[in-house]
Amino acid sequence: MASTVNIIINGREIQAPEGMTILEVAKKEGIFIPSLCYLDALEPEGTCRLCIVEVSGSLRHSIRVSCIQEVKEGLIVETDTERIKRNRRVLMELLLARTPYSKELLDLARKIGVVTSRFQSEEFDDCVRCGRCVRVCRDQIGAYALCWVNRGYQRTVTTDFDRISEYCIGCGSCVQVCPTGALKMEDRGNERIIYKWGQILARLKLEKCEKCGKPFAPKKYLEHMAKKAYKPRGLQLVEIICPDCARKVERPVPAPEFPVGKMPFGF
Amino acid sequence: MLDVETIDSILAKFPQPKGNLIAILHEVQNHYRYLPEEELRYISKRTGVPITQIYSIVNFYNRFSLKPKGKHVICVCLGTACHVKGAEKVINEVKMKLNIDVGETTDDMKYTLEEVRCIGACSLAPAVVVDDTTYGKVTPKEMASILAKYK
Repeated sequence: MASTVNIIINGREIQAPEGMTILEVAKKEGIFIPSLCYLDALEPEGTCRLCIVEVSGSLRHSIRVSCIQEVKEGLIVETDTERIKRNRRVLMELLLARTPYSKELLDLARKIGVVTSRFQSEEFDDCVRCGRCVRVCRDQIGAYALCWVNRGYQRTVTTDFDRISEYCIGCGSCVQVCPTGALKMEDRGNERIIYKWGQILARLKLEKCEKCGKPFAPKKYLEHMAKKAYKPRGLQLVEIICPDCARKVERPVPAPEFPVGKMPFGF
Repeated sequence: MLDVETIDSILAKFPQPKGNLIAILHEVQNHYRYLPEEELRYISKRTGVPITQIYSIVNFYNRFSLKPKGKHVICVCLGTACHVKGAEKVINEVKMKLNIDVGETTDDMKYTLEEVRCIGACSLAPAVVVDDTTYGKVTPKEMASILAKYK
C-alpha cells in the first residue's frame, strides 16, 4: 500500500496516493481540468500546457502544469482562478492561431471561454503538436513509424524522410488518440490510408476476411495482434476473420483465467 | 550508393552504438559531408535504433545535414553582437560573390553558405567560421580575400 498525501483542490480536502500527478487526482475526483496532450495510457509530457493550475502551500506559489506535477503533502491547488483562466485563454488563443479549423479544439475553446483568436498565422493545419500520436506509436505499439522533425515553429509530425511509412502497421492508434482530428484514417476499397493535412503517412493493403471476403485489416496489424495479444495468452491466429463474422462464429467458452474482451491497449 | 565498409568501420569504433549515435552520425557526416538516406537506414538496421528516431535527431540538430554540402562550409555568425557589428554586410558579400542564398550550395559543390546564431566569439564580432577556422572582425572586403583562400 503506497502512502497517501493530503492535498486541497479547490477547497476540497483530498487524500491522494503519493506519486500521482495533480491532473490524475483531479480526474479521479471529478474536477475538470482542460488538457490536450494528457492520456492515461501514455507517459505525460506536458506539451500543450492547457492543464495549468495554481499551486501554493508546500510548493512555492506559482503556476504549474498539472499533468506532470506530482502531488505533495500539504499542497493547495486552485484549478479555476481568474489568473489561471486568463492564462489558459491566451494559451488557447495561441493554439487556435495555428489550428483554426479543428472542430474538437474549437469545442474545447468554447468550454473555457474562447471564441476567436487574436493571433493569426499564415501557416496552419489541424495539429496542436501534442505528440500523442508519436508517443502512442513509440511507447504503446512499438512500431516507431512516426517521429518529430524540425524545431520550434517548423516542428511537425511525420514519417521517416517524409515518405510513406514502411514501419506503420496500420493499427490506427495515432488516429484514435489525436485530440484534434489532425490525423485521419480511411479504408478505401482494399487499401487503408493514414493521412494528415497534406501528407499521406501510410498506405497498407487490407487482408480479406476468410468468411465474407470483405477487406478489413492490414497484414502487419494482424501479425502484431498475434504477437502481442494472442501469444501471451497461449493463443494462435488461425483464421483471418473480420470482427463482424467473428461475432457470429460459435467458439468454445474461454478458460476463466483469461481476461476476455479487452484489447491490450490502454484506451 | 551504399558504402557498407565505411559505415562498418565507423560503427566498429563504438562498442555501444545506441548511446553514441550522435558521435556516429558526426563521423558519417565528416566522411560524406552530409548524411545520405541509405546510410542512415543501414545504421538503423545495424544499431537497432528506429530510423524515425535517427531522422528526428538529424532534423533536430542544425549541424547535421541531409543535403550534400559543399567542400567548404562558410558559417556567418548572425548573433546579436555580430549583427550589430554588420554581419549582414558580410553575408551579403558572400551571397553576391558566390551567387547563392543562405543554406545553399554552389553548383560546383565547392561552397555552402550557412548562418549561425552565436558561436561564442562576440568579442571578435562580426565572426565567420570557414570549415574549422574562425575569422574575427571581418569586413566585407576581408571576406572576399578569405573566400579566395579556399579553392
